[in-house]
Formats: sequence, structure tokens, C-alpha cells
Amino acid sequence: MNDQEIIDLINTTLANEFELNIDDMVPGAVLKDDLGLDSLDRVDMVIVLEKAFSFKIREEEAIREIHTLGDIHNFVIHKKQEME
Amino acid sequence: MNYDYTVIGGGVSGMTSALILAKQGLSVALVEQSGQLAPTIRGFTKKGLFFDTGFHYTGGLGAGEPVDLFFRYLGLSDALEKVAFREDAFDSFRCLEPPFVFRFPCGYDRIRERFYEVFPDECEAIDTYLSAVREQYHSVPYVNLDMSEVSAGFSTVHGPTLQEFLDRLTNNRLLKCIFSMHCFLYGVAPDEVSFANHANVAGSYYESVNGISGGGLKLTEIFEEQLEKAGVHVFRGQEVTGMLLSNDGAFCGLTLKDGTNVSAEGCISTIHPHRLLEIVPDSVFRPAYVSRLNELEETASACILYAVCSGPIEDLVGSNIFIFPEPDFTCFYKNAAVEKRPMYITAAGGKHDGEKAKHGFIAICPMSKEQTKPLVDPVSQERSANYKLLKEEMSEKMVRSIKASCPEIAEKIIDITCATPLTLRDYTNSPFGSLYGVKHKIGQYNPMPVTRLKGLFLAGQATTAPGIMGAMMSGFLACGTILGHEKLQKELKQCRPEG
Repeated sequence: MNDQEIIDLINTTLANEFELNIDDMVPGAVLKDDLGLDSLDRVDMVIVLEKAFSFKIREEEAIREIHTLGDIHNFVIHKKQEME
Repeated sequence: MNYDYTVIGGGVSGMTSALILAKQGLSVALVEQSGQLAPTIRGFTKKGLFFDTGFHYTGGLGAGEPVDLFFRYLGLSDALEKVAFREDAFDSFRCLEPPFVFRFPCGYDRIRERFYEVFPDECEAIDTYLSAVREQYHSVPYVNLDMSEVSAGFSTVHGPTLQEFLDRLTNNRLLKCIFSMHCFLYGVAPDEVSFANHANVAGSYYESVNGISGGGLKLTEIFEEQLEKAGVHVFRGQEVTGMLLSNDGAFCGLTLKDGTNVSAEGCISTIHPHRLLEIVPDSVFRPAYVSRLNELEETASACILYAVCSGPIEDLVGSNIFIFPEPDFTCFYKNAAVEKRPMYITAAGGKHDGEKAKHGFIAICPMSKEQTKPLVDPVSQERSANYKLLKEEMSEKMVRSIKASCPEIAEKIIDITCATPLTLRDYTNSPFGSLYGVKHKIGQYNPMPVTRLKGLFLAGQATTAPGIMGAMMSGFLACGTILGHEKLQKELKQCRPEG
């Protein structure tokens, strides 16, 4: 899976699971202000990503540092690289 | 009808939540589907003997400990008579092959000394385990009343598992089995439960062990008195069928089966998360959250024997027995045959009326979901055609197992009643009849008190932990989220006994 495929899968999965408009899924989108995903959604985002990419997310600190959709893209790409 | 808060579910979590809110001067309605509050822990009487169905003993009830403070805070203490368990052996571990008995004394220091005596070569493992349990237990919100941040964090969802933790400590199978035997008290196997969650439950029992005179029934009656005093409006025999939302999408009331609307500013739901999804309007939760709730795994269920006996059972006076066919701590809740599964035995009754005293016991044998399937008709979800036969078979197997492990108990049996996972399902209103509702296990994110629906909060053992302590704590966590944790913690501290 290349980086673009990873980004596409993240965008479509989040759009479906959180009822978001796919057109709003741009890297600069701020999760809270632009996509309406707040701290209440953090755990669900973790679960959704764990399922989509078949890995376990244990980086509690790193998750707290995520603010934009681009941060999620980078987090997942980095994690996938670590797994290979 | 208009209230500040409604509470759904009249079990221990719901009664606790309703009382906390009412103590703050809020008007509260408590809605219970059954005709009586707390049907799971009311127990029943047969041949003059009372059988407790949900509350056998608890940790954390020593003076000044969490459950004791909860009882004091809610005004339940004065009417409750604590029954201390045997100081030298509140629980006995009995292994059949090799034959081995370990008696758990009350209190960390005594427990440590006993382990040192029995396992003199394992002092380091014993120290590490007991220190880690105590440290973890005292980091739990509302156990530790000085925590500035009340958050469960990830530690209970991630590793290590109890099994991983113990495997690193020692190779002694018997010792590991004894460390993990209290898995029975939360219904999750050692390879699935986090060490943290194990310690949160076991740690409370290592500090003190008590029952209550009159058991779960008495506890419920005292709760009922206080609810009435506090002016909580209790709806019994009323099923919640829906939720009402205001124009801005916030919670504003409940609809009951008989068509009554109960308006309120807020709501604490203590029912099983799957049942909650049946009453929340479709558009409220996002698909991700709905899937999360739907996919929550259940704890194991059980077959339970209620036996009337011809005379007193010495080993069960102030003490319980945990039977292990072999020192295999992975055998919890697996698909093994009855005689290969561990079993928990506790005394029935509890009242000592001299010569008139009745005697008996309750034996619990865990069953996996797979083992429960033949009992259920796959279409109607009611009892299958073979149900009665299977129930009798299970009951006979358990008696045979007790004969093999505790002949001195088995020979006194004069009458047997058996409860199956379906009995549990019908009393607890949980989809599969699990012993402790939703599991707390590695990798599973259980719901928190706050939800996306403004005004709706969650409590109940699915959110926190099972048992009287877990249920009550879930009420404090949900109410603390509404009222402020600092305020509730401060008020609880004021309930500490003097000295």
C-alpha cells in the first residue's frame, strides 16, 4: 500500500464512520473546527483506524498531539512503515 | 412530569446515581423495567433458605475504604450491618491435581506472610505482584480521592495482560493460578484482562473483605428507603422505549412503553450499551460509536447451583472456596467440560437462627458463549426444546464435580435449584446472560460517562467495573462528570470516619 492509498483509505473510512463530506477531507482540515471531530471522537477514531489498517494504536501521547487530518495521515504512514 | 434528571435502570449503578443527584437537591426520576428495583441482587428463598443471587461479598468496605465511604455518603451505613469474613481465610484455593490448598487471609501484610510461608522461593515475585496490585488499585479515581485528573487513560485497555505480567514474574504454575483466581470476580480470563483491571478488582479484596447481613436483598431495601426519603420518583415495571430530543438536539426526556413522557434536563443510562442503542434515536450517534457499542464483548456466563443442605458447612463459614481441577490459570472461561472448569462455592443464607438455622451453598461454574448456544432456540431466542434436559445434565455434572472436589459439602445436599445463562439473561436484561455484562479487556474501549448526545451520560458496570464497588463507582463517575469530580470527592472525604 503506497502513501496515497493509505491517505485515500483514511479519508473514506473516516468520512463513512463519522458521516463527513469527502470533499472536506483535506490534509489541512483541523479535526475539531473543520470536521467537528472533538475529544469525544478520539477513541472511536483510534478504533476505526485500528480496524482499517489491522494494527494496534498504543501511542497515547502521539494521539493527543494530532490536530489535523494531515497529522492522522502522517501518523498512519509512519506506523505502517514501522511495521514493514 | 418534569424532572432535572432521569436515571434509566434501577440496579446498584442506577440507585447510586439517583441518590447522588437527589442529594444535590435535584429532582430525579428512576425508571426500572422490572416490577422491583435491583432484581439481579434481590435473591430468592427456597425451603426457608435465602439465596443471594448477585452480592456475595465485596472488597473496599473496611472503615474509610471506598465502598464504606459511598455507603456513608448515600446514607446507607446506619442500617447496614457488615459481616466480616474470616481473617485467616476469606477465600480458599483448592487444586485437585496436584492436591493443594491455599487460604487467603485478610489484608496485604497477612497475605504477603502467607505467600512467603507457602512459596518461600518466590518472595521477589510475591513482593512485585502485591506492590503492583496495591499501587494500581490506589490510582483509581474515587479510590484515590486526591486525584486532580479523573481519567481512565489507556492503561486498562493496553497491556500487559495479567497473564503476561505473571509470566514475567515466575514459572510457578500454582502461584500464578492463585494470583489470578479472582478472575472469577470480573469474568475475564487472565490472557484477556489487563493487569490494571485485575488489580482494580483484586486489590480491593486484598485490603478487606466483608459481606452484609441480609445480603443483596437487605442492601436493596436500604437503598429503597433512602430513595424514598430523598424524594426520588421511582417508576417500577416501566420500560423505556425512546428518548425525546429538543429542537437543538439535546436530551429532553424519555418515552415509556405505556406512552408516558418523562421530561428532564438530563439522563444517566445504566443499562447495557446494546439496550441503550435500542432507545436512542438513530441520528444521534455516529456509525463509529454505534459499531463500538455493538461490538463490545460480553463476560462469560455461568451455570449456578443453589443447594439446600442438611447441616452447616464448616469451610464456608465466612469463607469461599475456589476449585481448580489443575493449576492451569488459562482454563478460565474456555470451552472445557464442566469437570475441567474452575468453580466458585459460597455459603447461602447468612442468618444464624440457632437450631432453626438453614444451611446451603451457591456454586458458580463459568460457561462460554459457545456452551450456552444449545440452550437457546436460534429463531425465537427463547429456551430451546432441549433446554430442560440440558439444564438437568449441567446440574448433575456440577454435583458430580462438587462430589469429587468437596465430598464433605456434596454429602449434605438435600435439594438443588439450577440457574442457566438464560435465567441470568432474563434477570439482568443483558443480551447473552453474562455474569458481569460487558468485558473489560485488552483492546476493547468501553464507553465513558460522556456521550455525544448533550444531557445523556452513562454509568453501569460496562463503563467502570463489575461488582457492588464497580457499579457504585460508575454512579460517582457519571455524577462527578455532571456535578464536578472535585466537589464529589471533597464531599466523600467529609464522610471519612474519625480516627
